Amino acid sequence: MKKILPGIIALISGILILAGYFFQDRSGGLLVLLINWGILLISVAGLVGIGYLLQMHIHRLFQHKKGRFFSIILLVSFLITLILGFLFSLESAFFRELILNIQIPVETSLLALLAVILFSSSTRLIKTRGWTPLSIGFLCSAMVFLFLDLGFLQTGTGTLAAELIVLIRRLPLAGARGILLGMALGGLIVGLRVLLLLDRPFGEGK
Amino acid sequence: MNWSIVGWMAIGLSALMLVIFSLLRKKPDTYSLRRSVSAEGLMKAQTNAIERGQPRLIAIGDQYWSRTYPGLGLHALTALPILADAENIVDGELSVSGGDGSLVVLARQIVQSDYVNGFSMELSNPRVRTILPGPTQLSYSVGLLYELGLQKYGSIALFGNYGPEAILWTEAVQSRGGYVFAAAGSIISQAVLLFNVRDLVIGESVFSTAGLLTSNEVDQTRWMTEDILRVLLILGLIAGVIMRLVGVL
Repeated sequence: MKKILPGIIALISGILILAGYFFQDRSGGLLVLLINWGILLISVAGLVGIGYLLQMHIHRLFQHKKGRFFSIILLVSFLITLILGFLFSLESAFFRELILNIQIPVETSLLALLAVILFSSSTRLIKTRGWTPLSIGFLCSAMVFLFLDLGFLQTGTGTLAAELIVLIRRLPLAGARGILLGMALGGLIVGLRVLLLLDRPFGEGK
Repeated sequence: MNWSIVGWMAIGLSALMLVIFSLLRKKPDTYSLRRSVSAEGLMKAQTNAIERGQPRLIAIGDQYWSRTYPGLGLHALTALPILADAENIVDGELSVSGGDGSLVVLARQIVQSDYVNGFSMELSNPRVRTILPGPTQLSYSVGLLYELGLQKYGSIALFGNYGPEAILWTEAVQSRGGYVFAAAGSIISQAVLLFNVRDLVIGESVFSTAGLLTSNEVDQTRWMTEDILRVLLILGLIAGVIMRLVGVL
């Protein structure tokens, strides 16, 4: 019973939410109620997760493990943010300025690092994958779209060449839609398998 | 007929096929269209890392639920019991990392449940570390990079929802000789990981990763259902294009 009960709850909740989603006008607020319950549970779990984060760093600090200096920085920053968050509300301009003026430069520097790594990695595509149809196709398409986006190729409006360029420029969108359709199918099957208790990640579901 | 009815039909048909194929339950390998060199590579790398006593990491994404990729968080959790098996759990070198508190809490529950089921109901303290390096996308990325720098990881497996920052982690592991497997979901992450991850699963195959890692009859039902749906979708798209061309739509 202990193993079946979570599955039955998942099954009933899933079907109710699906029904509420498709028949919103007839659900009588049931969908909103269930989603609010879900958000509440997820929020509590999120808080527990932050507890894990703090626990890990406190443990690292007191066990004198490698990297405890950064754990101190994290814990102090967390405490300062928490205290200021209680003192000032999220609407406070001072609080937002203070946090964002630290957060945005840090995130920007990470993105700058990402750009450098992306560039260096792109030069190693052939080394990683070899001369396969995939890697050659990827490189060729990257070159073509880079060239098209530079804007060097100019054509008169309404000409066949202009139509062709518009068509070529829409190809990545079509490809992305294809991948998203495939992923939607995959997502649908994963959800249904959990709902139908064929997959039970919460126990005995291997 | 409106889109709600079409949605119900798609979901109902999928559910029906899953139930029917599960009841029929063919013998293993009767529908073995799926073999993945990437998945086999991950299993080998995990085994090698265990033999060498190296730490291993399973990253399950930075979001449990996202509007664009709603199934990815759940998928990462369904793949977790397969990767966190008894062999992987006992040496205490496995870490599971997520960037969303709820995802990490659920992952911890799964790992503990696996441990109890595999060993004893009396034991409930697996040595698997479930960590939350940061609660937002970029703080998770920075925190994970820091974690990866602390130890020399033998293997890292990426599941779930990520952005392009995933390439930073793969770079950090590969530069120290570690192995990387990625079934990371978002289109951007798939595109950037193509550069430097040899064992990469993309598109709808991401959702089949659990089945690719350990093929059994339950996964065959999923593959059959997915294949039939795919064929129906292709036929639908072709029919839609033809109807548009002749002016019906």
